[in-house]
Amino acid sequence: MTTGRSLKIGEAGLGAAVLALGAFIAFETSQAPGAANAVVGPALFPYLISAGLILVGLALLREALTGHIAHAQGLELDGIAVVLVAVGLIIQMLLLETLGWIPASTILFMVVARAFGSRKIVKDAILGLALTAASFGLFNYGLDLNLPVGSVFEELMAGPDDAAE
Amino acid sequence: METLVALSSGFAVAMTPYNLMWSALGVTIGTAIGVLPGIGPALTLALLLPVTYGLEPVSAFIMFAGIYYGAMYGGSTTAILLNTPGESGSIVTAIDGHAMAQQGRGAQALATAAIGSFIAGTIATLALTFVAPLMVKLALLFGPAEYFALMVLALTTVTAVLGASLSRGLASLFFGLALGLVGIDLQTGQARLTFGILELLDGIDTVIVAVGLFAIGETLYNAARYRFEKEEIYALKGSKWMGKEDWKRSWKPWLRGTALGFPIGALPAGGSEIPTFLSYLVEKRLSKHPEEFGNGAIEAVAGPEAANNASAAGTLAPLLSLGLPTSATAAIMLAAFQQYGLQPGPLLFDNNPDLVWGMIASLYIGNALLLLLNLPLVGLWVKLLVIPRPWLYAGILVFATLGAYTLNNNVVDLVILWIIGLLGFGMRVLDVPVAPCVVGLILGPLAEQQFRRALAISQGDPMVFFTHPLSLGLLITAALLVLVPVVLKARQNRREQDAQAQI
Repeated sequence: MTTGRSLKIGEAGLGAAVLALGAFIAFETSQAPGAANAVVGPALFPYLISAGLILVGLALLREALTGHIAHAQGLELDGIAVVLVAVGLIIQMLLLETLGWIPASTILFMVVARAFGSRKIVKDAILGLALTAASFGLFNYGLDLNLPVGSVFEELMAGPDDAAE
Repeated sequence: METLVALSSGFAVAMTPYNLMWSALGVTIGTAIGVLPGIGPALTLALLLPVTYGLEPVSAFIMFAGIYYGAMYGGSTTAILLNTPGESGSIVTAIDGHAMAQQGRGAQALATAAIGSFIAGTIATLALTFVAPLMVKLALLFGPAEYFALMVLALTTVTAVLGASLSRGLASLFFGLALGLVGIDLQTGQARLTFGILELLDGIDTVIVAVGLFAIGETLYNAARYRFEKEEIYALKGSKWMGKEDWKRSWKPWLRGTALGFPIGALPAGGSEIPTFLSYLVEKRLSKHPEEFGNGAIEAVAGPEAANNASAAGTLAPLLSLGLPTSATAAIMLAAFQQYGLQPGPLLFDNNPDLVWGMIASLYIGNALLLLLNLPLVGLWVKLLVIPRPWLYAGILVFATLGAYTLNNNVVDLVILWIIGLLGFGMRVLDVPVAPCVVGLILGPLAEQQFRRALAISQGDPMVFFTHPLSLGLLITAALLVLVPVVLKARQNRREQDAQAQI
């Protein structure tokens, strides 16, 4: 749940973040070695953009402090659902190359479905498995794009050969 | 005459069974993603980029154009039958279209949307056929200074006209420009903002940013709001055909919507929101029954739906002839051109006439196919609306990560995707528009290139942007677009303060 007050903080945070990003880009650019032979070096545009970010950041901060915010009437948000989806994506990232595309993405599918209120775990699992297996087949055999099989399974499949050597 | 010859050879390309198949596939996918909430044409094109790498450019662009047009048709179905617009161009349609569906006139609303889209799409494609070569002639007058000024104008308009607040739009734009800096500077070979991460040397891929903002950010936002929003779907019932009165009240809005949509789409003014809003306002002003607006006036569906299809065609004119994207979808199409090593502009018309004219010809065919898909077969698409939301969004995320991973087959892209997705969620909550970010990311590096080229030619004299009359005019227009609303607002505020002081 989010009230107008925390949205106001968020708005100020947005202004501060934009401001900080501008300052950061200016700093990074000043640290980079200059290129002497070009009429306009690689640093001019970064400086212009960082100046723009700083100005916009200040304007946003001013708007937040004077109370010009979006959703002034407040906006209800389900924080748990957001965290679930974000964590689901992290799990997929971590498992993708070891367990492979199909299991990792099936888990993502189930977690996202849960975040949207689904309680049919078995159905979600079957559907996720079907979708990821179908996409795996299509991409790896139909389009020649390589989705990971998973290092665990690769080792299992390669296992007997290694033993024989 | 020249144009007609070129167009007929374009038809020869587009009418081959192979390309017809891609066109049919494109319009079908386009309609489907238009109908489905949570997934739009920009996201779909971004996801398809890695997949279409091996395809002939002509076939790929015929499919992309079909998707773009198809999404404009499909979006209206969702807007009318569900109380959420499927695409940003259907926001206005949703108001009266949904009211019509509540009164059991959903079929008539869908029909006027589909027929209006067809008429507008066809007229606007015809306009595109003749305007694009004219714009190419204009483009030949452009040097680097003019291109730079034009890009500045496009960036400011996309930002200034979208969203409620200028500073939010600018924040999104500058964020996109900053993302565009990451990677090796092409002219000096110097790495910028890469923090020693090898994968960042090639820059941040447009696909990752678009998918992060449109798929991950949107899904996170929808997850957060899911519990608090109720969707109501209205079944189609009663007569499926438009009555005499419906036709009488629809045909003028169709034509007026087209007249608004094409030129505004072609201007560097961005997207389909503005022409649809304008069309609604115009129809309301001209209607004999203004009181019906908001309660199911058929004009309020016919006009905006025509306007959004016409604007899609309009967007393609500057994209093909100048390489200038004026909407998020067009920005992704530009990324597709870059993927094939093609640069839209006068040279593209000279060197790849098959591609340009084949794509334009395919739009006529696609429009006819879409009328067929969306009028008699609309019942099939309605079924897509009943896909349970948990599965729909779970599926969207699986495909989003699939697209991001297959770009370079590495997990770093998924990490960047995650970060951009969370930022996109934050932007959505704080009402920061995301389109300027995508357009900024793709136009920023191009603008920098033209800027440096212009200064190299003028031997470092920055006055070159102000001494060329075309460039000066474009820059003044851009400045006015930002300054005029700010001044007007300040004046209004002062007047309000004066009024309060008097009380």
